[in-house]
Amino acid sequence: MITTPGMRVAKIVAIVLIVVWSVGPIVLGVTTSISTQREVNSIPSHWVPRNPTLQAYRDLLNGSTGQTTGGTVTRGGDFVHAMTNSAEIALGAAALTLIVSTMAAYALGRLRFRLSGAVLALLIGTLVIPIFVIVIGLFQVMANAQLIDTKRGLILVFVATQSPLATWLLYAQVREMPHEPEEAALIDGCRRWQAFVRVVVPQMSSGIAAVAAIIVLSVWGEFLIPLLLTSTMSAKPVTVLITEYVGKYTTNYPILAAAGVLALIPPAVLALVLNKRITGMLAGSS
Amino acid sequence: MRLWRQGEGDRSAREAQILGWLFVVPAVAVVGALILYPLVTGFKQSIRSGGFLFGEKPGYVGLRNYRDVIHDPTSQSAMRHTVEYVLVAVSLEILLGIAVAVTLHRVFRGRGFVLAVLILPWALPSVVSGVLWRRVFDPDNGMLNSVLLQLHVISQPHVWLASGRGAIIYITLVHVWGVLPLISLIFLAGLQSIPEEVYSASAVDGAGPWRQFRYVTLPLLRPSVAIALTVGTLLAISIFDEIYVLNGTALNTRSILIQVYNTTFVTADFAHGTALAFLLAAVTAAFGAIYALALRRATV
Repeated sequence: MITTPGMRVAKIVAIVLIVVWSVGPIVLGVTTSISTQREVNSIPSHWVPRNPTLQAYRDLLNGSTGQTTGGTVTRGGDFVHAMTNSAEIALGAAALTLIVSTMAAYALGRLRFRLSGAVLALLIGTLVIPIFVIVIGLFQVMANAQLIDTKRGLILVFVATQSPLATWLLYAQVREMPHEPEEAALIDGCRRWQAFVRVVVPQMSSGIAAVAAIIVLSVWGEFLIPLLLTSTMSAKPVTVLITEYVGKYTTNYPILAAAGVLALIPPAVLALVLNKRITGMLAGSS
Repeated sequence: MRLWRQGEGDRSAREAQILGWLFVVPAVAVVGALILYPLVTGFKQSIRSGGFLFGEKPGYVGLRNYRDVIHDPTSQSAMRHTVEYVLVAVSLEILLGIAVAVTLHRVFRGRGFVLAVLILPWALPSVVSGVLWRRVFDPDNGMLNSVLLQLHVISQPHVWLASGRGAIIYITLVHVWGVLPLISLIFLAGLQSIPEEVYSASAVDGAGPWRQFRYVTLPLLRPSVAIALTVGTLLAISIFDEIYVLNGTALNTRSILIQVYNTTFVTADFAHGTALAFLLAAVTAAFGAIYALALRRATV
């Protein structure tokens, strides 16, 4: 590869641009969240606050009447409640999806049973169904089962939407894994299910961790489905609550930004910690 | 009796039969009940009349709802907007995705850090992306207006999200922000699969960096382009969250999915809402099929 000084400079500029593009909006969110509405509204707007304050976070977490915050009304406790809802839904859905999908991936990859080809085709086939065509029918199914506005209901829905992809990724892993450890366990007198629990699942652990991270990230970011299936704080996730802070005429940017910053911390941390696993899985799966 | 006499081998085969089914039943049940069943009931609604609520006799009406939505001006403008979202998003994603991948392909100090930072926008909820970008486009005092005012490009603040095409481009930009990491990773994987010898051979033949890129890298990236086209199109065609956060259900930026949401859950017209959703799904499936074929041709 020939490299000229000009190309090296171009490359450095490109790298800086990539970092600024990726982090810039997040940094802007943080600086906005520690500003006052007055500084945001001043002309020209202060992009870096002269008097940083945590008032927006206090208004968000403890509640505000809207008189001091330019129309944005927040109720104390709601935001934390929505964050815990999001966490419960994401973790619950991830745990259940992994159980369901690991079992299915093992059965489809290793056990020869009748119609296994048809079951695999059915599960993979659902991957091509866009979620939006099922939401209307789903709304009625959930209403009939009295699962509207419950965390249980949302978890079940996300298990259904996430399982096909999770099963496919884990199935690919099962097919690539060496058979010998399981065979040795079977020869030692293990039953099939014992071999699965004691030998195969530990063998799959790295794939399971990556899939878990992908499910948590994607469920944490879900918006359309919870927008339709929740109505009160008893199940509302943080993505839905945030959109309610967007004012119709004026928006209190510091409060909105504070909510955005707090809601992005869990997925950002997860993505940074597991980034090698996630990038590997994403690049490999597509 | 025979089973007993044949012994171990048969017992384990029978065990595999039973265990196999036991292990797939949960996945099949949950997918059947919450994806396939709603798919069927949804489709049934799309070929039934709206019922008494809309002053009609309940009953099957064939494809009438589909004809209605195709001829409805609001749905038509939503379709046009969706085409614009897809075209702008996909072309930006391909161009920028290749640029990012070429930049980050070779090893340099701090590459791990840049790659980690690169995937952040993908990991964030798209609702949060919208929230982060909102202040940039704020009509009164956004970053875009202050910068352009100070540079004297414009003399008065511009209401960015209220004008037609501009608003669609800004919303698409926010969408691209979240999708670009995924597309860049697809191209990075594509670049990594090109053997180094190809480059050294073309360098011996006297090809400079640009010619190498144009005549070696780009043709060999064709499978990645096909994948990126598919992923980009499927994500942009169902754009919803970014529009909802940045401009609500306003007519000037309404996509097909926003129109489905509005028809179904605001005006409670389930019949036409489902018809439009299934129409979009059919188009999506067609695109998926075309790209799958293109991908096969590109890789063979």
